Amino acid sequence: MERSRDATGLILMAQGVDSVGGNPDVKGNMQTSVASIAERQTIGRPAVGQTVPDPGLAVCIRGLSKHYVHPWTLRVTRGLDALDLDVRRGEVMGLLGPNGAGKSTTLKLLTGLLKPTHGQAWLMGEPVESTASRRSLGFLPEQPYFYDYLNGIEYLELAAQLSGLQAATARERARHWLGRVGLGERPRLGLRKYSKGMLQRLGLAAALVHDPELLILDEPMSGLDPFGRRDVRDLITEQRERGVTVLFSSHILPDVEMLCDRVAIMIGGRLTRVATVGELVEDGAQAVEIRCAPGALLVIPKHWAGRVSRTQRADESVFRLEDEARLGDVLGWLLQAGVQVRAVTPQRPTLETLFMAAAEAEHERRQA
Amino acid sequence: MIPLLIARNTFREATRDRVLASVVVAGLALLALTQAASSLAMGEGRRFTVDLGLSGISGLGLLVILLTGTSLVAKEVERRTIYNLLSRPITRPAYLVGKWIGFSATLWSVALLLGLALWGLVVLRGWGGHGLAVLEAVYLAGLELSVITALAVMFSALSTPVLSALYTLGFYVVGQWSNDLRMLAEKLPKEIGSLVTVIANLVPNLPLFNMRTLAAEGNPTTWLHLGLASGYAAVYVACVLCLATAAFESKDFK
Repeated sequence: MERSRDATGLILMAQGVDSVGGNPDVKGNMQTSVASIAERQTIGRPAVGQTVPDPGLAVCIRGLSKHYVHPWTLRVTRGLDALDLDVRRGEVMGLLGPNGAGKSTTLKLLTGLLKPTHGQAWLMGEPVESTASRRSLGFLPEQPYFYDYLNGIEYLELAAQLSGLQAATARERARHWLGRVGLGERPRLGLRKYSKGMLQRLGLAAALVHDPELLILDEPMSGLDPFGRRDVRDLITEQRERGVTVLFSSHILPDVEMLCDRVAIMIGGRLTRVATVGELVEDGAQAVEIRCAPGALLVIPKHWAGRVSRTQRADESVFRLEDEARLGDVLGWLLQAGVQVRAVTPQRPTLETLFMAAAEAEHERRQA
Repeated sequence: MIPLLIARNTFREATRDRVLASVVVAGLALLALTQAASSLAMGEGRRFTVDLGLSGISGLGLLVILLTGTSLVAKEVERRTIYNLLSRPITRPAYLVGKWIGFSATLWSVALLLGLALWGLVVLRGWGGHGLAVLEAVYLAGLELSVITALAVMFSALSTPVLSALYTLGFYVVGQWSNDLRMLAEKLPKEIGSLVTVIANLVPNLPLFNMRTLAAEGNPTTWLHLGLASGYAAVYVACVLCLATAAFESKDFK
């Protein structure tokens, strides 16, 4: 419920974004930011050299990096840079970031599809290099592809058996999950005849068919219509209620706001911020809108330039304060001028606003 | 357990592919053609039928490998279906071994089907004395196809389907000439001769699996030959799959 309230709006992370910069001031910010992230994480981290992560963590990532070397030019591209991240058991964490932020790289490193250049990671206490780490893992890759010579039930049976279920149980679970994702009416329909939305649902069913304790979903809402997105959200919520840990990446910010206990924001292969949606709201300065009856044109004092702005509409004047700290001063000024104040509304930025600001800051940092 | 699951899936994939059905039909048509043409073979109809029938099994098997086997793994990587497999608790070696078992089983099925058709034809035509030799030759052809499949799986795991097909075809052609290469090496200067010998030993010794001439004459081979060929195939396949898994283990799926 708290998440739904948070979804109505929140605040800023510019400090976190700047923190990845290269100049000394920015580095100072980075230290502050990383420290604050560490403080927020209540579960203990493994110390340096410690090989067993905290049992309360479903995902534990330490210094994970992935660099690609071009075979001819030997140019190094950093896909992911020194990522530290924890996901607690039973938590839903969203990975946010623009294209090329390192989200999919992170998820592929966790699922063993990529080999890390540096660093370590554990899933449910098992190092990701070991197949045991994938025993209780359900993974949905981005835009999943399947064997088009199989039908839905055959594919889910195969997926269940590969995850360790016996043939009879696998058959039963396959039927259950095919029905659960709304594909049970035609279980023998060949996958080549599936639509994109149906394939996405099948992918989810395949990730869930063996009742995993940890779900890793790469863009699970991608390519789905609003009904499909709602179904996926319901499935994730249902899994969370069962105690399943969910780590997913997404571009669809309202879904992230609705579902996540915490959000990790990645930009340019780096983690810039980890916080609950609520913390993000509380951390930033909050803008305020003052709506007034149309009246005499007031000239905004020069010392408020850039911090207070006015929009003139047909039936009202709207003053926007970038920081609520000046609310008293501005209100006093308006009342003194005889303006009739109709409403004072806090303007909580959406996750989208924060995300765009972070991306912009990172872009500026790179340009610099 | 896991390799067998992968193998079953690979078998299902191959047998539902139209290429395989077409190849089986082509093989049966070839056998029918031998009967139409054997009257023109100047009394050599028996030899002609057996030789062409056995060559058909090897040739069509090679065709299936080149058309399908050489993209076994590469296609999964390209289409990203491999993500759904390797993100489960299975090892990469188990995946490759499963692929090899599944595709080899497919080729054995084709060889067996065409081999039995050839054997039936030989018996029906009253050349029953050739039956055992034909079955032995079919067994050796199956071994040969399994060895080439291992190479195809290895190249497919490390390269694109086109390059993989070229490499596999290259190994097949050089492998057919491996005995001649060894003989040639003896006549060459020492350094070059050693290099040629190394190449001849690296490629599969495919003449070991060829008893078409013997079978055409109705002469069965020895148990020692069959045992040696089986042992050689097992060792060669194991070495190739070990190499493939060593390289595949560090492969990134971007």
